[in-house]
Amino acid sequence: MTETNTLIPLKVHGVLVDPNTDTQIVVLRDEKNSEVLPIWVGTAEGTSIRLALENVIPPRPMSHDLICSFASHLGFTLNKVVITEVKNNTYFSTLFLSKDDLEKTIDSRPSDAIALALRCQCPIYVTPEVLERRGGEDLDTWLSKLDQKGSEQSEKTDI
Amino acid sequence: MLNQMNVRGLLFDPYNNAYIVILRDEQNSDMLPIWVGKAEASAISFALEQIAPPRPMTHDLMKTVLDNMDAKVISAVITDLKDNTYFAKIHLLFGDSEFTVDSRPSDAIAVALRTEAPIFASGEVLHKQNSEELERWLENLKPEDFGKSDI
Repeated sequence: MTETNTLIPLKVHGVLVDPNTDTQIVVLRDEKNSEVLPIWVGTAEGTSIRLALENVIPPRPMSHDLICSFASHLGFTLNKVVITEVKNNTYFSTLFLSKDDLEKTIDSRPSDAIALALRCQCPIYVTPEVLERRGGEDLDTWLSKLDQKGSEQSEKTDI
Repeated sequence: MLNQMNVRGLLFDPYNNAYIVILRDEQNSDMLPIWVGKAEASAISFALEQIAPPRPMTHDLMKTVLDNMDAKVISAVITDLKDNTYFAKIHLLFGDSEFTVDSRPSDAIAVALRTEAPIFASGEVLHKQNSEELERWLENLKPEDFGKSDI
């Protein structure tokens, strides 16, 4: 299921503010820009992802900077993160960490996985099953509407 | 000199729209209030109340990452106070070595509570923070400012 040859690499396209709820939407796209995967995240997680996207270095380390700092102090590498599953509108993801010959996989929320991947500069993948289940042909139209609405609040997110 | 501190609770500060973590030393003679954001307050409150969320929150992930790396949290230390910003260090034991990682106090406290590691404050920090000012501020709080609020 998480074999690298079937996984689809994704890039973080931007973070939008959902004006209807107290959440933000991380928009992921594949390399050909043909697939789009929006993931709803909390305000703190959305902010953390946006800071990493814009290469902002906050005066004090944020929670995800701290996790990266643990890894670099202890000599661990985050090799990749994979969005593995969607169940009842909840996305699941896995972190792949290694040190020497030791490999570890850790369950995480996609928001944490994405925030860490951007900071550790490792690739983000999604399984084909997750993209299939996402469905929704109107997604692009819907997102572009939201983008216009949200552009006042998040001018810099449209990268 | 280090003083061991206990997390006594969280307050909502309506004037700054932020939360305050109240640390007290073991003799209950020194108090250290630390202003934190909503997400950090929520992470501390979940650990204090031992709530297990359906999906791992960021600090639960932090603990799992450390567990998987076989690193142990020895302690969290609030080390300094400069321009109203507190600084902390997380001490880790990994293999035979000790590592010290720079952190915000909110992250250090949230991870210490999850790993049952002791929390310390340096004597200097306790000395620097003006407790008189705090007590005056606390006296102005109304009962409805206490409680779980909306975190």
